[in-house]
Amino acid sequence: MDRSRRNFCLGAGAAGIGAATLATMPAEAAQARQGGDAARRWAMVVDVRKCVGCQACTVACIMENDVPENSFRTIVSTYEVTEQGKTGTYMLPRLCNHCEDAPCIPVCPTGATHQRQDGIVVVDNTVCVGCAYCVQACPYDARFINHDTQTADKCTFCVHRIDAGLLPACVETCVGGARVFGDLNDPNSAVSKLNRETDPKVLKPEQGTQPRVFYIGLDPKFQGKVDGTPTLWRPAREKEHV
Amino acid sequence: MENQIVEVINVTREVAWLPWAVQYFFLIGLSVGGVLLSLPGYAFARDEWRKLGRVALLVALTCGLAAPVALLSDLHQPGRFWHFYVVFRPTSWMWWGSIFIPFYVTGLLVYAWACFREELQEQGRVDSRLAALYRLAALGGGRNDGLIRATGLVVLAGAALVALYTGVEVAVVRARPLWHTPFLPVQFLMTALAGTTGLVLLLNRFAAGNDRTVEVQANRLLAGALGAVMVVGGVWLAAGLFGIERTHAEALDSVANSEAWRVTAIWAVAATVLPFVIAVAKPAGTGLLTGLIAVHSAWMFRWTVFIGGQTVPKTGAGFYEYALPAGPEGLLGIVGTAGLWLFLLLVITAFLPTPPQSAPRPVRAAPAADRAVAAE
Repeated sequence: MDRSRRNFCLGAGAAGIGAATLATMPAEAAQARQGGDAARRWAMVVDVRKCVGCQACTVACIMENDVPENSFRTIVSTYEVTEQGKTGTYMLPRLCNHCEDAPCIPVCPTGATHQRQDGIVVVDNTVCVGCAYCVQACPYDARFINHDTQTADKCTFCVHRIDAGLLPACVETCVGGARVFGDLNDPNSAVSKLNRETDPKVLKPEQGTQPRVFYIGLDPKFQGKVDGTPTLWRPAREKEHV
Repeated sequence: MENQIVEVINVTREVAWLPWAVQYFFLIGLSVGGVLLSLPGYAFARDEWRKLGRVALLVALTCGLAAPVALLSDLHQPGRFWHFYVVFRPTSWMWWGSIFIPFYVTGLLVYAWACFREELQEQGRVDSRLAALYRLAALGGGRNDGLIRATGLVVLAGAALVALYTGVEVAVVRARPLWHTPFLPVQFLMTALAGTTGLVLLLNRFAAGNDRTVEVQANRLLAGALGAVMVVGGVWLAAGLFGIERTHAEALDSVANSEAWRVTAIWAVAATVLPFVIAVAKPAGTGLLTGLIAVHSAWMFRWTVFIGGQTVPKTGAGFYEYALPAGPEGLLGIVGTAGLWLFLLLVITAFLPTPPQSAPRPVRAAPAADRAVAAE
């Protein structure tokens, strides 16, 4: 069953894919999960070889989720890489990794951050006190304080769209087809096939978080904290100087 | 041509634990330190520690009452603080903190009352309009060493829990190598003790009779605390420098190439070594200087850990820039918290002026205006 943007439908798929890279969640963690379809495990595979760095996903996410100015639930980190006299561009779409063992969940003092049975990590912004402990605990800098709601915010895989049988906005809009979304519990889904066939990598595997956002063509130099010259474009700074 | 990576586009994550958090960790640390320094003189009735203990108690009380306000302000939804108390979240050290803080502050208030009860009784004997109020506050009793010891042990337990949670809460954050070290809780405690002793020296000078014995005693304690700070800091540095442990090496690597962090490190070392040397070489007559540097050093450690730590990106290149905002999320928060602390100090010292140098004795029928003179 294909979960790419071209052919997305919500069929039943309960079989485990059995991939060695995908450890199962602890039983107690499974019991604690609420909401969502327990038969599914949503995941994303990002093929960085196909990403053209157009930031259409960034914009689609902002429009879909009403993300405040200067904040991002997803962004395509873009790097100019020079190696042996040749210069090229490297694009790396970043978002919440909806980890199997998400470090943002146990630190939450109110239970506002929790994981659904389908693996999506969400924040109940009516419960969140905005303590930002989860912001600190996330190894991927995927979280931030939303200054409209004054609560923790992050990518939800567009959970409202998923529940309505739609793709996440970033996947829907990706012009290069670099983002593939689907159900890991369905062995015939595109994400399951890509996991089996391409041996994708995850960001910061040493953190033990078991991300459920996988990358095809991930350069090890970008797997953790990037050792490079800092960003040139800073929207906040630009705003200050206007 | 060498290989290089230039980050062209990435997100800049702003600091999410604000200067309010720095103020909280600073004040609660100093309060815990104040409790510890007050215990020998009060809970264990050691006369030679009594005067220093009284100043330390002032530190514990003023800082302990101001700290929760700063903590509450660091929440982006402070009105929802009660959400902590309607759930059971034992996996979160912050949740444990929400239990420990009221326990500690309540214990501190009762302990401080037990310690000051003798003074309240004395003030109740003074012929003034407030005498009845003092007598009411003393609840008809005076010094009760048993009660002081019992409440002292309770607040000691609270202080230990607060020291534990404030350190571990930050140290468990694996995502930040600079924070993720078992040394951090010890560093928080040791720098807090140094800061407490520094504030004791300052309050002794300006709000507690400028007692020379207290100054020398506090300077010696300060030297000990600063010595411990240097030892723990040295071990942390060695763990990173010699690659003894990977997280520590990562932590050091993440800041080693930054000029700003190098300057900060030199500054921190100077702010530790300098008062240490002065306190050891000349413990008398230097309290103002060593006290100021020690308080500054304890605050700066927390500023560097929290604000500096958050400027290290977890995935991106280089550092996030931070400029202190002028409003409540920045300078106003710092000044406001300091103002609250000063207000508490003025209220408490106005209500309980420093007793005379000699043993306290009843001052019957003395006009209220003369009390201040008698107190000097």
